Amino acid sequence: MGQVLRVDLTKEKSAVEQLPHELVLNYLGGTGFAARILFNELKPGMDPLSPENRLIFATGPLTGTLWTTAGRWAAFAKSPLTGIWGESHSGGFFGPELKYAGYDMLVLHGRAKRPVYLWVDDGTVEILPAKGLWGRNTAETTNLIREQHGDREIEVASIGQAGERFVRFACIMNDYQDTLGRVGLGAVMGSKNLKAVAVRGSQAVKVADDDKFMELVEDAHERVLKQPQAQQMTKYGTPLLVAYKSKIGELPTRNHQTGVFANSDKLDADTIRAKYYAKTRSCFACRIMCKKVNRIPEGKYKGTISGGPEYESIYSLGTNCGVDDFGAVLRANQLCNLYGLDSISAGCVIAWLMECYERGLVTRKQCDGLNLKWGNHDAMMALIEKIAMREGIGDLLAKGSYYAAKSLGKGADLVMHVKKLEISGQDGRTHRSVALTHAISVRGADHLRSLVTVDQLGYEDTAAKRYGKDKLPEICDPYTEKYKAMVVKDAEDTFAIRDSLIVCWYSCGWPPIFWMPDFAAVASAATGIKEFGRLKEMYRIAQRICNLRRAFNVRERLDKRHDSLPKRFTHEPMPDGPGKGQVANLELMLREYYELRGWNRRGIPTKRTLTELGLLDVVRELKRLGRMR
Amino acid sequence: MARIVYVGKGCTGCKTCSVACAYAHDRAFSVKAGRIWVVKEEPLTDVPVTCYQCVRPPCKDVCPVGAIRRVDDLVVVNESICIGCGACVEACPFGAMTLHPSRGLAIKCDLCGGKEPQCVKVCPAKVLKLQVPAVVAQEKRARK
Repeated sequence: MGQVLRVDLTKEKSAVEQLPHELVLNYLGGTGFAARILFNELKPGMDPLSPENRLIFATGPLTGTLWTTAGRWAAFAKSPLTGIWGESHSGGFFGPELKYAGYDMLVLHGRAKRPVYLWVDDGTVEILPAKGLWGRNTAETTNLIREQHGDREIEVASIGQAGERFVRFACIMNDYQDTLGRVGLGAVMGSKNLKAVAVRGSQAVKVADDDKFMELVEDAHERVLKQPQAQQMTKYGTPLLVAYKSKIGELPTRNHQTGVFANSDKLDADTIRAKYYAKTRSCFACRIMCKKVNRIPEGKYKGTISGGPEYESIYSLGTNCGVDDFGAVLRANQLCNLYGLDSISAGCVIAWLMECYERGLVTRKQCDGLNLKWGNHDAMMALIEKIAMREGIGDLLAKGSYYAAKSLGKGADLVMHVKKLEISGQDGRTHRSVALTHAISVRGADHLRSLVTVDQLGYEDTAAKRYGKDKLPEICDPYTEKYKAMVVKDAEDTFAIRDSLIVCWYSCGWPPIFWMPDFAAVASAATGIKEFGRLKEMYRIAQRICNLRRAFNVRERLDKRHDSLPKRFTHEPMPDGPGKGQVANLELMLREYYELRGWNRRGIPTKRTLTELGLLDVVRELKRLGRMR
Repeated sequence: MARIVYVGKGCTGCKTCSVACAYAHDRAFSVKAGRIWVVKEEPLTDVPVTCYQCVRPPCKDVCPVGAIRRVDDLVVVNESICIGCGACVEACPFGAMTLHPSRGLAIKCDLCGGKEPQCVKVCPAKVLKLQVPAVVAQEKRARK
């Protein structure tokens, strides 16, 4: 443990480095480590698909242990979709396996001369030809690698055909259904001629203070068991959100035109459970067990059997494309997983094109003869395949919706994105805190680097406990900006620690079980580093990470102008439902947020803020580039 | 003659049992040093497998140094005698014997001493039980 495996694919060489203690103290793990490495090693303005881009696979100090929901891992690189900070997390079993092989992190750079895959077998590291793998989908790749090495328990992270073709929102898959979905890290893998990383680990992970750690493990288990929403998650998984969001009028529909979807009951958790549920599965050592496998018993997609879809895919491939056939959503999600496409971006580019089509901005001929009216799932399936293979209109969509609109010269106003990342399944009009979240998130229109649920789902007790009773009722009111900058920042800080440890979102954001004090206690027990046990120090680390990631983007010439929302959210009032008439007001929240962060009015971290966090090198770098006076 | 029993359906394949088992024996987290494992198949199979504590254990029969014995209905390996040849691994019809990934000696389910096996305690889906065959049979009959 405590090792970093560096692989240069150009020179076909690997080296093992010790994890610097200073890095651990200042950045904790996961996203913190990656922030430091990417900031240090990438030149601003570099092409994300060039060999110089780093692709980091990271675990955290809890990975591989029994602390519930901590069986995760993440990948990092400069994103080829957005050109800025790129980060994506996944469940499954790959992360613990990497840790058991002895590595906290894997840092890849260069470009192999021919398609290869990386084989990491404890201390043995080999770059092997991907002959017979290139051109295969992610499930086939996993199976073939396991067969090749004669071990069915090898963990494989691979790209599909989409990553091979540099589709800008290609994902990395592991364990068949687990996805490092967003920001196109699969294309980075493809650009390195790297089809897969296969890992086998036979070592063990130790913690510093066994008794304390196991006490916390049991306490965490108990708290998950007692949490009513966690129990619901165990039964239904994330599709639970379909009914919640339908009730509050925030189920994004037809390219976010409205939050009201007429047939939402055809896609909600009760229907799925009753008609399609086949099995519950789980990520590594997790008590929540939210993963569902579903099977379609009849109709056009009869026989489809697949893990998922999560709420976000039901939104992106379902309601956002006007599709109310659950079989179609499951099949489309499965296709995205097999080809290696981010199901959110895939659904969103298709929804964008559908709206362009409905408004007469594109002709049927331009769309390869497909009738792209809302809800036409045959056309949706065809488009998914075309995107993955970059055929016909799919080649345009493969650029992501921002660049697709630019190339087309039409429909730019209809692109629902922030910082070129397609928007996840929330709507800032009916959930004000998420308007700010989408606008400021480090990787673009994101719901995972910060997301406040106390307002969206009305968790008054949680809000009172975390922020004080005096903040009620405004703090839980989704239609006011009051206190939202403060809670968005607090969630972002907490999630920076969560993503460094690395722990699942479904333990702290929603359902609201764990928060910063829990993370501080467990990080300290696991590592033996006392400073981690102090809440103040944890917030300092979190702020250091948030500022460094922001600085990465500032270096790419981003500032306040990019912390924006699509016009639809700020100028088109919600047309119907409980939130009818609402619009997002960003300006006030942004100003408050920058102030709380210690950033100037242009959204750039001040010298003082960076200096206080010990980021003097960042000050020098931003000055050198003329981003700071 | 209690043993670990998988009570029908419901294993989610999370491997908590393996990791808790390894931790109970080594105070270190690992899947491969566990003495219970999950067989996972796409798209719908997750089945935990561990020792049945056989009455006539093939592992014991083939052990060339007599390191495996039956003690009070429990099949146990004496690690101080075991030479790590792996004959028991080959002989076990269930794959319930293995060699410890770092020590190289035979390891197997010892029911954590018999009182409270950790896998049973931690299983999130609550699908593992410590049961005697007579009760297993009773429950099967009741289910039919």
